[in-house]
Amino acid sequence: MTRTTPWLFLAPALVLFAAFKFTPMWRAIEMSFHEVRPYLGDRWVGWANYQQVATDEDFLAAIGQTIVLALGQTAGSIIIGLALALLLEGSARQLWIVRTAVFLPTVAAMAVVAEVWRILYYPAPDGTMNTILGWLGAGPSQFLNGEDSSLLSVMAVGIWRGAPYDMMIFLAGLAGVDRTLYEASAADGAGIFRRIWHVTLPSLRPVFAILFTLAAIRGLRVFTEVFLLTNGGPNGSTEVLMTLIYKLGLERGELGVAAAGSMILLLATVLLTLAVQFSRARGQKR
Amino acid sequence: MLSRPAAKLAAALVTALALAGTSACGSDPAAPAGDPTAPIEIWVRKPPGSNTEKTHVALAAKFTEKTGIKANVTALFDDFETKLQQAAAQKKLPDIVVNDTAQLGTLVKQGLVRDVEQSKIDGSGDLTPAAWDAAKGADGKFYAVPFSAQSFALFIRKDWREKLGAPLPSTWDQLDELATSFTTKDPDGNGKPDTYGYVIPGSTKRGYLDWYFSSFLWAAGGDYFSGKTGSLSPAISSTPSVAAAQWLKDQFCTDKSVVPGAITSETTQAHPMFETGKGGIYFTGPYNMARFDKSLGKDKYEVVALPAGPGGKSASLAEGENVYLMAGSKNPEGQEKFAEYLIGVDGQTIGMAADTDGNVVRLPVNKNVDLAKVRADKRWLVFDKVYKDAGRYNPVVPEWTPFRQASAEALSAIVANCGSDTKGELTKLADKFAAELKKQGTGS
Repeated sequence: MTRTTPWLFLAPALVLFAAFKFTPMWRAIEMSFHEVRPYLGDRWVGWANYQQVATDEDFLAAIGQTIVLALGQTAGSIIIGLALALLLEGSARQLWIVRTAVFLPTVAAMAVVAEVWRILYYPAPDGTMNTILGWLGAGPSQFLNGEDSSLLSVMAVGIWRGAPYDMMIFLAGLAGVDRTLYEASAADGAGIFRRIWHVTLPSLRPVFAILFTLAAIRGLRVFTEVFLLTNGGPNGSTEVLMTLIYKLGLERGELGVAAAGSMILLLATVLLTLAVQFSRARGQKR
Repeated sequence: MLSRPAAKLAAALVTALALAGTSACGSDPAAPAGDPTAPIEIWVRKPPGSNTEKTHVALAAKFTEKTGIKANVTALFDDFETKLQQAAAQKKLPDIVVNDTAQLGTLVKQGLVRDVEQSKIDGSGDLTPAAWDAAKGADGKFYAVPFSAQSFALFIRKDWREKLGAPLPSTWDQLDELATSFTTKDPDGNGKPDTYGYVIPGSTKRGYLDWYFSSFLWAAGGDYFSGKTGSLSPAISSTPSVAAAQWLKDQFCTDKSVVPGAITSETTQAHPMFETGKGGIYFTGPYNMARFDKSLGKDKYEVVALPAGPGGKSASLAEGENVYLMAGSKNPEGQEKFAEYLIGVDGQTIGMAADTDGNVVRLPVNKNVDLAKVRADKRWLVFDKVYKDAGRYNPVVPEWTPFRQASAEALSAIVANCGSDTKGELTKLADKFAAELKKQGTGS
């Protein structure tokens, strides 16, 4: 039993991490400073890749759209998730069935979800969503095919998929709310909305903290839904950081520039996560 | 303490890791070791499980029978280039890739292919000179062996056209008129306004929109560049080019004769629009005939050449597939032998697969193969004639992909927003072209 013993126990995990996480990461950092040409040898370009990323209009637009999409999806999922959780809280058998049904979108494979939504969004007047809009006297909308509506349409799919997940976390949180607080506030004459505002929401504070942390990490890395629904189009109106990095790296073969973009994304994710953690720690102190 | 086997395992892992680390960092180009019996690994851009894959497998089997060199075919379709990039990053490229001619520049730039000496390829003289153009890099050297050629033509719903009593279009105005009638006159007779004229793969993915548009651009008298290879300058904002883009935009914005959803459709999403009777005019390649014959019916549509544009020219994008001899192969000699087999009369004939949907050679590149003898279907002759009379390959630049991508994005901006300024967008595109030409060292 010496100082090395704990390291020996850690070794298997460290080795695996090194092989599958740290080595690729180190390689990505290296690539971000090179023009990458696998068979011709990489060429050192210094900060040029970063400069290209930071000054590229497309990148700046993608950053903006990523933030809008992240905020919209997070807010939408939390609000709808909370509403669902409040509606579906309880232990009755029927509720259990409804909850399972509501949770399905989160379980379904994204590729399937995207293809189904593309069909629902078919932008002709006789498309499914447009028919529904027609009943309400609105539309027809271009949905994914209109520059103004594409980002909102992608966001709606994200919320549709994310809300049930948030609902589950809220349900777990709601189970922990002290019942006597409800009874006490009811005795004081508080109506349903006052009870939600003064009892439920404050009790759910830790749940919100978890959801915001998850959202901060996930929001910036949104990729699959955009890639499958619009691939960044039309006219770049739904381009997000990850789809742009993917395009640059793997469609145009600019691996160096794409690596630089990834590094910036990593930095932003770390900063955002720390910010959420920091504000959470401060909130707990109060 | 760790048990002994565990410690051994950890040690082995650490060693393996260290080795992997060193080999991954090495940057020396892999020198061909030269084992003339090493098996040949072949990647083809075909849907796995398709009949086209089977044809490639048959070709490889015949090759093995003839030369004794083992050959293994892998069919990949979605995101082919991505997977190739991944293989390249791991330095595990296949020996042979059969893929679009348009990929040449990118492959050359990244050093993923080796150059080919025409004189060293047996039978290279039997190939049409135009086909060799598709294998030429911007430096004048050849980096592939041409394998298949193709052109594009209009697929028009014959039953719809006849129902409306419209003539076959012989000008662009007539073509637009036909598209508008398909949109407004209920050619399928179901009483609903659910049909449209043009089917367009308008996604920017892989630059599809520009790929579709290029034939129209040339036919309208426009072009991407002016000048000669090596000293090009952008011509994409010239008057005829702007007119061509405006014509495309009018289909989306004024006539509204394009199938909804076109702007985000890739070809895989566009084909069903034609098959299911959403749109009646589709400018596409001969490879779709087998598919549409099955899904729609041979009697339901006709294949005609694109009428000459307002510039008075006929044009069609010519492309096809090349056999790329990839870098780092263990068997360079086998690579060449395989290419020689594919371009020979035998290889080409098997590849053409008569009239079946297994064809991987669309139009033969070998002069000694008589198309009409191998295939009874006369529609192939339309494509053959278009290829010979009006076929144009993409401009020869070191790397075409960035131009294609930028052009697709600009066109997407023009047609997605009906309030856009066509001339202004193309002027911006011309600036991008100029910058890219300079970057690639071929600007004037």
